[in-house]
Amino acid sequence: MRILLFLAGVACFAQEEPATQARRILESNCGSCHGAARMGGLDLRQRDSMLKGGTRGAAVVPGKADESLLYQAVLRNGQLQMPPGKKGLAAGEIQILKNWIDAGARWAGGPAAAEPSWWSFRKLKKPQPPPGANAIDAFIAAKLTEKGLRPAPQADKRTLIRRLTYDLHGLPPSRREVEEFLADNSAGAYAKLVDRLLASPRYGERWGRHWLDVVRYADTGGFETDIYFPNAWRYRDYVIKSLNQDKPYNQFVQEQIAGDEIWPDDLDMNGGFKIPEEKQKHLEAKIATGMYTIGPVYHEAAFFGDQVRYEWLTDVVDTTGEAFLGLTLGCSRCHDHKFDPLTTRDYHRMMAVFAASEEREVPVVSKFSIFGFKSGYPNWLKVDELKAAVNRIERDARKRVVDGVRSRFPAPVLAAYDVPADKRTPGQRALAAQFEKALTEAGLQENAEGKVADIPYTEAEQKERERLTYEIGKATLKANPVLQTATVLGPADRIPDVHITSRGDWRSKGEIVSPGLPQSLAGENEIRDSRRRKALALWLTDPQHPLTARVMVNRVWHWHFGRGIVATPNDFGRQGEEPTHPELLDWLAADFVEQGWSLKKLHKQILMSETYRRSTKWDEANGAIDANNRYLWRMNRQRVDAETLRDATLAVSGQINFAMGGRPVIPTLTKEEYTGMWARNQWPEALDPAQHNRRSVYLYVKRAFPLPMFTTFDAPDTSTSCARRDSTTVAPQALTLMNSEFMQRQAARFAERLRGEQGDNPIARAWALALGRPPTEAETTQAHRYLAEGEGALERLCLVLLNMNEFLYVD
Amino acid sequence: MLCRKTIEAASRREFLQKAGLGFGALAASCLMGAPRAPHFPAKGKSVIFLFMHGGPSHLDTFDPKPLLEKLDGQPVPPSFGKVDFQFTRMDSVPLMASRRRFRKRGQSGLEVSDLFENVAQHADELAVIRSCYHDGFTHVTGQNWLNTGWARVGRPSVGSWVTYGLGSAADNLPSYVVMLDGGIKAGAPAYGSGFLPATYQGTVLRSEGPPILNVRPPENMSSDEQRRMLTLLRGFNEQHRATRQEDSELAARMASYELAFKMQMSVPDVADLAKESEATRRLYGMDDRTTAEFGSMCLMARRLVERGVRFVQLYSGGKKGAEVGWDGHNECDQNHEFMARKVDKPIAGLLADLKSRGLLESTVILWGGDFGRTPFTDGAEGGSGNRNGRDHNPYGFSTWMAGGGIKGGKVIGSTDEIGLRAAGDKVSMHDLHATLLSLLGIDHKKLTYPFQGREFRLTDVGGENDFSARLT
Repeated sequence: MRILLFLAGVACFAQEEPATQARRILESNCGSCHGAARMGGLDLRQRDSMLKGGTRGAAVVPGKADESLLYQAVLRNGQLQMPPGKKGLAAGEIQILKNWIDAGARWAGGPAAAEPSWWSFRKLKKPQPPPGANAIDAFIAAKLTEKGLRPAPQADKRTLIRRLTYDLHGLPPSRREVEEFLADNSAGAYAKLVDRLLASPRYGERWGRHWLDVVRYADTGGFETDIYFPNAWRYRDYVIKSLNQDKPYNQFVQEQIAGDEIWPDDLDMNGGFKIPEEKQKHLEAKIATGMYTIGPVYHEAAFFGDQVRYEWLTDVVDTTGEAFLGLTLGCSRCHDHKFDPLTTRDYHRMMAVFAASEEREVPVVSKFSIFGFKSGYPNWLKVDELKAAVNRIERDARKRVVDGVRSRFPAPVLAAYDVPADKRTPGQRALAAQFEKALTEAGLQENAEGKVADIPYTEAEQKERERLTYEIGKATLKANPVLQTATVLGPADRIPDVHITSRGDWRSKGEIVSPGLPQSLAGENEIRDSRRRKALALWLTDPQHPLTARVMVNRVWHWHFGRGIVATPNDFGRQGEEPTHPELLDWLAADFVEQGWSLKKLHKQILMSETYRRSTKWDEANGAIDANNRYLWRMNRQRVDAETLRDATLAVSGQINFAMGGRPVIPTLTKEEYTGMWARNQWPEALDPAQHNRRSVYLYVKRAFPLPMFTTFDAPDTSTSCARRDSTTVAPQALTLMNSEFMQRQAARFAERLRGEQGDNPIARAWALALGRPPTEAETTQAHRYLAEGEGALERLCLVLLNMNEFLYVD
Repeated sequence: MLCRKTIEAASRREFLQKAGLGFGALAASCLMGAPRAPHFPAKGKSVIFLFMHGGPSHLDTFDPKPLLEKLDGQPVPPSFGKVDFQFTRMDSVPLMASRRRFRKRGQSGLEVSDLFENVAQHADELAVIRSCYHDGFTHVTGQNWLNTGWARVGRPSVGSWVTYGLGSAADNLPSYVVMLDGGIKAGAPAYGSGFLPATYQGTVLRSEGPPILNVRPPENMSSDEQRRMLTLLRGFNEQHRATRQEDSELAARMASYELAFKMQMSVPDVADLAKESEATRRLYGMDDRTTAEFGSMCLMARRLVERGVRFVQLYSGGKKGAEVGWDGHNECDQNHEFMARKVDKPIAGLLADLKSRGLLESTVILWGGDFGRTPFTDGAEGGSGNRNGRDHNPYGFSTWMAGGGIKGGKVIGSTDEIGLRAAGDKVSMHDLHATLLSLLGIDHKKLTYPFQGREFRLTDVGGENDFSARLT
């Protein structure tokens, strides 16, 4: 049937007029950039506009293909090569265009259709899956058959529970969980397992971490000063909670982009100690916009207010493009995109969408609590008074020292010093320098190396300082905790004009643009509503939107399989990879929208497929055809990521602390790990040791100082959105796992746990905990022999288990 | 190169043949990146990047300005135009001549100030680039420009690009090593691999304690115990791999333990400077408290490049107590004297030692810092007053190169008459990086990596002024 249709298509094509053929070629290959988007000023949708051409001149000279830019460009042997990217037109198509131009370039019919030519810009339609019980398997099977690949067998139950638990929780399954699953022989055992894992709060922590990569999450701003974001964690907790609640993805997107504009609330609907439920929901939607307040912050840009705003808008537009649209909008900041239909104008119109907003802090407690805080405020006045008293002592001591220095110098020197620095004559400068030198020696100002000596206090002063310091401590303990706030987006007090800048230089100010959406995707449009982000969010979450659902289902697929259907999850443009299974991607995306944008339903679809349940077993014949497993004839073996490695280690050692949420935990570092940190006072370690064993998603993400263990295991750098982590194999990873204080400590705890727990022999328990299976006979013998080494052998055996490939990779 | 990617690129048959070579070959090709052929023949094989953290003044070191002597204490003539600085409004501060004496040195007559009397003895080896510029007038942006060719965080550092381009030629040592004398303002991203795989990030080598992170086995574990432990691990891994023969990454990870074990000895060995002769140690100033620290870093750098390490970066002026490095906002002259005293003799020792061992031909030395400094005094707004300091100046500053086939005694480019801006033959950081890569046989336009929808280069869209041909 399909073959017949295909033949019919060819026959149809062959009978077409040359003009229709040419038009078809232009529409499907050039339309997305040289249609409504008019890249380079060129519009290929009509004959007139072709003759008029773009910034390079006429595209077509009727009757003279060799002189036509269009023809030269598609030949791809000169400077201008079209279409851009990896593939050009087929030779036959080029010939058709040549003949058509030589024959006068007659245009058939009216202006070309609006349907974009690039696959990811086309409207989302749900394709009919090939016959089969499971749509995913049917699509995959069709490709396997086409390529001559035979699917690997289904994985065994032990492999499946380990795979699923790592995949959904980022943790190994417990011993009991493995045993229960093995014992459950019912038909629905696997489905039950999937449901149980999806329902656990551990799911939100694991998949929240994935999303945090995409939105370049961090707790600080980076650069030298690395400013601290006191409320970033509220956004992180929002993400985890949203995933655990299976918040529909369209709502998740809407809240992050425009939670405040879509669900504006009057914060005083009801009184009470607690915030009423509805208000709490709206507050959460606001907290979601915190996503736009946690990007890199270049502190010194504050020397020029405009630059701060420009840097922020750049981060915001780039992140929005990559995270939600899967497009590298950033390329079009400095020039029209070279590969995709995105112009600098589009870029700056998108900036204008966000330019009407600014960061602000809102209270997250009830009005009642705010009043309560204010009623207790005088306690803080007391703290301020005490601090001022301390400062007075310092001021008096300094004055005494300065007076002492002054008394040693004659009047002309003092007079020279009292002249403002930039008004001194060379003579006065020399005199003043003498005095400054004496001040430096007395410890009152920095010397050339930046050192300042201690102020010499009298005994009485010193005693009074100590007393006051103690009083400050007492008063602080008594005072109310500071008012809890969230950092969110809100409407800007004054909406600045957004100018198109030249080459990304914020100082250059070109044409003023109004807020709008990318023209090639949204057509002619201008956002007139004052709630500009709301318009963006609603456009993105339109069920018909070509990118939003495709991009998200592909991310989910990528995180499950280690490779997306589109292997470049942040780039659905021409420089990205094309989908290996375009119909499957569209089916998943359309189905996702139909199922109410439910991520948990999407997970279940995927996890229930035979494709996901295949073994990782290699096959020579398949390998010869598809060594990289692009067509999923087997499951991909994946190394665990940095956070999973740490969490799994803590789980096996029995130390993991499953407390959820709250301020980021700052773990201890060794002296060596501190090397290179600019300011150690920016690393106030958690004083409660139990906190150090919290899950990795709750650890402090400091942009200027990523945790060394995480960096070694390929954690992303948080400067921009990260769609895909690397998985490198380098010797420092082995050194970390063998020698680091963290691994040594966990191996020791693991050994303690084995000694302390009742039951069968420690070797069997060790294997069950770390690998989810009993040891083989050979392993038991080797382990036994090894334990005979005596002291420390069990600890070292435990360390070996935490270093095994089997522990680091999931089949 | 990502291991899996490497394997993906090759056909399965090729891979099996490669696997047949055994663990050694796999470790080399997957873990460190085997040596890779340059794009064209070149003398340079390694780089030592001497980074003066804080921003050394070009006006007091390698770029004499006679007019500045004449205009000392006067306002900046309006003809020089206006630019933005971090703290200073330039119409409110006087010009300040250098307190240093410049002399013509060597056969070439290259002018070097008396801050670098020892380095000056090698003047005929140096190519001073006086027309460097970028636009980052704060420390981190300046450090990022020099290190990554971009003001913001997130791009790979030069060392990462070089090791990505040339691979490793060192046995059992990391191929990109960084030594710090204290914290640096740009932090780890200054030697990070950005969007390149972590394989190419700089490894910090410490002068105290374990030389690199986690390279020292735990105190309660003897080398024998560790060896037996690793044998056990290997046995278990082999059983695991028996049914997963096709997966080269598993094999590479097993090999990484062999390499890690050897690094536990080779790294402390390379860091053990006691093995050097008294004469050599003196050459680097290790017998003097002032120069001992940077001297030992320079000596370590020689030992590393000698063993094939591709890229070594040394920092002078990192955070140590209250020291401010080369950041001469106050008493710039005193500050530079204090800092130069620490590095002058060690750098000269390094040049002499490399030369006498025939290593200078294959080692490119690059000296520079965040930026240069202003020809006028530092005038912080609202005024802590100016105490003969100089503010940051990214608009014109000096760096120098030596070795790697460079015929020295040369000056490239110039600044205007007061040293405010690069004027003739301007050299952007992309140009500087393109030149450095050229000296190593790498075409900066061909060294690319796909990220965010395009093929990224160290030199972004610049680097047109590659002046390497004029150096060699």
